[in-house]
Amino acid sequence: MLAIISLMTLGLHSGSTSMFHSASEDQATARSVLVRSEKLYVTPKRVIEGGALLIQDGVIVQIGRGLEAPEGARVIEGRVVCPGFIDAWSSFALEENAFEDDRVGRATRASDALDSYVDPRFEQQILGAGVTAYRVQPSAGARAGGLGAVVRLHPGKRADQSTLLADCCLAGGIGLARDGRAVDVFDRVGEIDRWIGALSDGQAYLEEQNEYRHELEEWQKKIAEKDKELDEAFKKAKKDREKAQTEAKDKGTEFKEKEYKEDKKPKAPRFDEDKAELARVASGELPLVLEVHRALEIRSLLEGTKRFTRLRLAIAGGTDALECAEELKARRIPVIVWPQPTVGGRPEEARVKGMGLAAALESAGVEVILGSGAAAGIGSRDLPLLAALAVGHGMQSEAALAAITTRPARMFDVSDKVGSLEVGRQADVVVFSGEPFAATTQVRFVISGGDLVVEGR
Amino acid sequence: MNVFTASTRAAAIAIGALLLSANAAADGKLAIKAGKVVQGPGMPEIDKGVILIENGRIAAIGADVKVPWDATVIDAPKLVAFPGFVEAHSARGMDRPNENIDPAAFLSVRDSIDPVNFYFEDSLRWGITTINIQQGNNCVIAGQGMVVRPMGITIDEMTVKTVSGVKLSATPKAGMSAATQAQALRKAFGDLQRYLEQLVQEKKDGNDRARREALFQGRDLEGENAKGRAMEGSAWKVAGLELIPRGEIDEKQVPLLALVEGKLPAFFYCGRPMDVHRALEVARDNGFLARTTLVISPACYKAADVIAEAGVPVVLEGPVVFTETDPLTGAETEIFVPGELKKKNVRFALSSANTTTESLWFQAAQCVGRGMTKTDAVASVTTIPAEILGLGKQVGSLEVGKAGNVLLFSGEPLSVTSWVEKVVIEGKEAYDRSKDVRVKHLMAGKAPANTQAMGGSASAEKKVVCCEGEDPAEHAKHLEAEAKKKDKGEGEDK
Repeated sequence: MLAIISLMTLGLHSGSTSMFHSASEDQATARSVLVRSEKLYVTPKRVIEGGALLIQDGVIVQIGRGLEAPEGARVIEGRVVCPGFIDAWSSFALEENAFEDDRVGRATRASDALDSYVDPRFEQQILGAGVTAYRVQPSAGARAGGLGAVVRLHPGKRADQSTLLADCCLAGGIGLARDGRAVDVFDRVGEIDRWIGALSDGQAYLEEQNEYRHELEEWQKKIAEKDKELDEAFKKAKKDREKAQTEAKDKGTEFKEKEYKEDKKPKAPRFDEDKAELARVASGELPLVLEVHRALEIRSLLEGTKRFTRLRLAIAGGTDALECAEELKARRIPVIVWPQPTVGGRPEEARVKGMGLAAALESAGVEVILGSGAAAGIGSRDLPLLAALAVGHGMQSEAALAAITTRPARMFDVSDKVGSLEVGRQADVVVFSGEPFAATTQVRFVISGGDLVVEGR
Repeated sequence: MNVFTASTRAAAIAIGALLLSANAAADGKLAIKAGKVVQGPGMPEIDKGVILIENGRIAAIGADVKVPWDATVIDAPKLVAFPGFVEAHSARGMDRPNENIDPAAFLSVRDSIDPVNFYFEDSLRWGITTINIQQGNNCVIAGQGMVVRPMGITIDEMTVKTVSGVKLSATPKAGMSAATQAQALRKAFGDLQRYLEQLVQEKKDGNDRARREALFQGRDLEGENAKGRAMEGSAWKVAGLELIPRGEIDEKQVPLLALVEGKLPAFFYCGRPMDVHRALEVARDNGFLARTTLVISPACYKAADVIAEAGVPVVLEGPVVFTETDPLTGAETEIFVPGELKKKNVRFALSSANTTTESLWFQAAQCVGRGMTKTDAVASVTTIPAEILGLGKQVGSLEVGKAGNVLLFSGEPLSVTSWVEKVVIEGKEAYDRSKDVRVKHLMAGKAPANTQAMGGSASAEKKVVCCEGEDPAEHAKHLEAEAKKKDKGEGEDK
């Protein structure tokens, strides 16, 4: 077993990147760490045999072979070095009310429900498995799960400081059991229709905004011209008016002002926070993650979303996703697989394929991402085990590694921060005693956000 | 919301009579000769001191103050004079608090305070002379609070300060989560901003159109637009708000605008440490951090660093000792919360809203018992709450110029064996223990003879039932029924 020691005070405790430039030479070397390995995974596909990694003030400054340790630097070694793992669907540090909140809407943010005061021992357990970041989503079983966030596990930091992206996706579910009871088939169809309708609303909102902007521009141009004309014609208009006034006086009739008409200013569409988020989804700015399991529903969903060409859809759970593998492959829709996508104690649970699903989908050409499934609070610590199970079912270990590093990072728009090792980035590194997914392998060290947070014995 | 029936009023007058019967020095002069005068936290004590109160204010204080011939004198050589306690935040004393509603900053507790609520009577027994009534821990943005004195039978008589601030809550109200609560808070201020922007835009468009119409018709534009004032505030502003006369702004939005402009204090409830972060963020983002007081539960001591960094004062609601349970081992640790706050230099006021006692003085005494200095403990129930309420120069200590709010204790003020014998509020005698019917009843075990108007035949057990929180109309009915029973000779004192 791992003995985990928090080393907050040892070595390279510093989160600041700017300090690196301003710090004196002495301080810089004191805050250096050299990570040596037999096999360094820069990404799952890019491996440097005998590669090393130099970290200064928490930032990766050099990657390559034969790196020299600066004087005073700490040197740590392991057989295999990987980027920190990312759990694509977790519920860690989420305030418990957030699971059963009926008022969660499209614009509700998971990042608002993160509790900075969770017992640090839980965090240490997850870090001890090599997981350094996770995506969190409120209301795992709700129809609308709001905006998910990607969060780094960074002991001693507040939730707002360790949130990597507060709006990484919009999420929801279709046909999920509620209060332990399955939803009937008509409701399930209705839920798909509602999501398609919501996407249409988002698209319409976007179009409405664009149209308004266009109309407003036109109107402003027109009015500017009119303004100029009126200015020029003012002297004459004034004379005409005086003339008309004298005439009226002479004739003893009532003087009437000329009636002024102009085009009405176009009205701005009403602000709607939910539709604003749906518009971002429809335009492809935000990915949409829908938990859906049955073949019928996956098929209807794929059919219904066809016309939203810019939509970035991901299926979560996906018990029957294999039935639609061809279309998923063709449309490059990834599936987030987790171990227990059961639907509530019914015979059809026999369909559940466990982590074998990951291997099967992968070999059918569908992109697989692994998640722990937002079950228990610290379920994320099982993530490497899930990857190992997938490998056991025949998934290539390179693909399994990608499914918990580069793929979730790309899916949730954080590939510039986590998921691979790159110079200039805050270090999220796991050092193993052997191959990452072998049962006998130990996690020797974990660096998260540049801090050495776990040290194995 | 207050529906006063004739009988309620009768009951009110009866209580008022009890409280004010000894009120001899209306607007006149009152001299209190006490065995000892404790002026306030960190101030010298005066042996055989005299406090002279003129027109409600302390005119002189000291050992050799000359008492004018026309002053009423309370001669109490065995009692200790002490400044009246100040309650910085209480959700009691109301007919029906409007808890559990969505943003409603336009409401005021003024419409809900019930002057005959037993809470006010109890406050006098505990020596609390200034109270900020501010409900809404279970809201998003609740109404405005007000500061009252527990004396008088109409809200006007009780009023010390008409608006003490707006109440907000960072803790999710029932049925909501931290995520939706944060969303609702953000939305309230977002809606305000959008509303103001739209108002300004419409005004501008209207003015532009009027100018073009005048040009077209060949006339000079006459008359000037009524002018408001530019928006103030440190976080965000809506340009062009000076075009809008302030009277044209929807009155429902006015209190939030005042918050953003830094013109109103805020009381922000935080039931959990994570809520402290949310409260400070909302206050910072909308420019009212400098005028914010956090109302915290004991668990929030964990966020003391963050509170200290923000530099805001807190009102500690609940017991002064927090029991932390280890989630893994179940082991319990006791944490003395005011001590933790003091360590981090957080300014705190104690509150009588807690499970152990209703008394501010007991709370302060517990602090001394756990090693806090007397000065700090007393300050947390007198001067600090006074400063939080913006009444630092009015109440909280016995000094010349401040309100004549004086308690006369039977002995050492923070001792559990001492009683409040008399309470003077702004030079008027508001409470006298020797005339307190309920205390007599409690001590003697039976109602004194002259208490029919008070429904004095009610047993102690029943009194608990008709205490605070009960509908006044119901309460009045209850009293009436009791009175009738007694008339028929069916009283329960058999």
